[in-house]
Amino acid sequence: MIVRLAWRSIWRNRRRTLITVLSIGFGLACTIFFIAIGEGVYAQLIDQVVRMQAGHITMENPSYRDGPAVDLWIKVPGALRSQIERLPQVERTKLIIMGQGIARSGSGNVSATLIGIEPSVELHTSPLVRHIVAGRYLNDHDGPWVVIGTELAKRLKLKVGKKMVLTTNDAAGNLVDQLCRVRGIFETGSVEIDGYLIQTPIDFARRLFGLPEEGATQLGVVLRIPQAQESILQEVRLLVTEQDIAVLPWQQVIPEIASYIKLDKGSNFIFQAILVFLILFTIFNTILMSVLERQREFAVLLALGTRPVQLRLQILMESVYLGFIGCVIGVLVGGLTAWAAQVWGIDLRSLLEEGFTISGFAISAKMHARVTLGLLLGTAGMVFGAILILSFIPMRRATRLSIVDQLR
Amino acid sequence: MATIVSLQRVTKDYGQGEGLTHALRGVDLIIEAGEFTAMAGPSGSGKSTLLNIIGGLDRPTSGRVEVDGREISDLSNTELGLLRRDRLGFIFQSYNLIPVLTALENAEYVLMLQGIPTAERRDRVKQVLKEVGLEGLENRFPRQLSGGQQQRVAIARAIVSEPALVLADEPTANVDSKTGMALLDLMHRLNEEKGVTFFFSTHEEAVMKRARRLLQIRDGVIFNDQAR
Repeated sequence: MIVRLAWRSIWRNRRRTLITVLSIGFGLACTIFFIAIGEGVYAQLIDQVVRMQAGHITMENPSYRDGPAVDLWIKVPGALRSQIERLPQVERTKLIIMGQGIARSGSGNVSATLIGIEPSVELHTSPLVRHIVAGRYLNDHDGPWVVIGTELAKRLKLKVGKKMVLTTNDAAGNLVDQLCRVRGIFETGSVEIDGYLIQTPIDFARRLFGLPEEGATQLGVVLRIPQAQESILQEVRLLVTEQDIAVLPWQQVIPEIASYIKLDKGSNFIFQAILVFLILFTIFNTILMSVLERQREFAVLLALGTRPVQLRLQILMESVYLGFIGCVIGVLVGGLTAWAAQVWGIDLRSLLEEGFTISGFAISAKMHARVTLGLLLGTAGMVFGAILILSFIPMRRATRLSIVDQLR
Repeated sequence: MATIVSLQRVTKDYGQGEGLTHALRGVDLIIEAGEFTAMAGPSGSGKSTLLNIIGGLDRPTSGRVEVDGREISDLSNTELGLLRRDRLGFIFQSYNLIPVLTALENAEYVLMLQGIPTAERRDRVKQVLKEVGLEGLENRFPRQLSGGQQQRVAIARAIVSEPALVLADEPTANVDSKTGMALLDLMHRLNEEKGVTFFFSTHEEAVMKRARRLLQIRDGVIFNDQAR
């Protein structure tokens, strides 16, 4: 009877109940949608950055982070790569030689980051492949060929097929020059990447930096499922336990991205908290108004012998109904829109013609949300729980009335 | 006959200082089981205060109040609630039905509080609704009933749990005189046939004439107690 009474009570003022559940639904849907977009953008950012760099997990000389230099290289036997690639959730491994140098042409010189890569691996992992705007990407048989960004090409007045000279210090500390040609030109939208990054096949990079066969500055591990990072990290550490190799998560290798995500999540949290607060204020107001309007009715119920706990239960049930209906609407609307944004993406290219960059990394202007069951249930559960907690104030109010005063 | 209500030197004061009002001034009263007693008096004479104190809705300032053999002045709010639920029935001047419950649900509410199984309470409520002349109207909501019909539902709600005493605060005040007399007939019949004890307030002459015992109250004092 109390359950029935609560259900009918919320519908005695249909308009108010509809406005309340729609407010909860709308607020929750917005919260879910924005969290999903945020998670999607972070996942997209992490994916692009780690794939362009040394993967979700990076193996390198333990001293490399203190002073990155090509002389801090490691030897990576093929057997170790095979062992790692056999681990579940590992998509592939990639070798990288990363160094600094100067790129010169007849029109000038520019300091640049030189990355030696395995073209056949990068073809599957690196987002750079999709950003070639002239010429083509490298292949394993390319010798002294490079791909450069549009900004660098503009500064050095280079085109596809043109010659340039790379000057750097090799692993032994000698100043070395190598002539090479431009195989392709990429454009990511990031000034840092398009203006200072040069990719070259790893064999040519080994020659340039004087590294032996199987030598590299990093061995990267790209994961199929990024969430498996922690467990794979532990397994990889076990595999190299007897070698002098540091095994690092991407958060330590690219801390600026990890910090950006942390900071952005923090600001998003504040925005979401305000949204949730507005939802809660709406329902608190509704329940309190509904209780205040029915003081006489509650006095009658108490006069008839209703125990205060039964009256509080009735008001709690009303909150449960309002919260539940609102949360179902919110989860359905928020979940479906976020799912649509996950499948089809939100194309902001008309607004951001050049895309946008985060910490120097170019991010696609087509955003994809990332919606999970945990996100839907977690957010809805939080809102629902907060609604129930807030209903305690009206519940107390209802049972502390004076029966005689209300019936007078 | 068993004593249902016993009041000894009951007083009730409201306010303090210059605003102090003596609503009841040393009321002594005995009501026996099976009585059909009316209490008459002008507005502000203390009728409602006396009913509220007997019903455990309000507490006396001093004096002793026994209902159904229990001294109730010192009972907690929860104990008073249980007493009202199990031993008392209430009929209010403005019906005070729950608008979102049907006539049947309103009438069965107290039985639900008492934990009576659904089937049993439905049977009892249907029988009582039939007795008060509401057969066929069980599933109507209060807004779909006339004032007289609503008060009949209130009477059904008050008597369905077979309480020791039904307290009614001007039960005919909000209906026309013809309906009022019909309601009084109903209460009278329930008193005679089922032995329900009624104690009700009124200021209508016609209602007073139907009571078997008439108390007259003024300024918080019962100045006339007349058996008929």
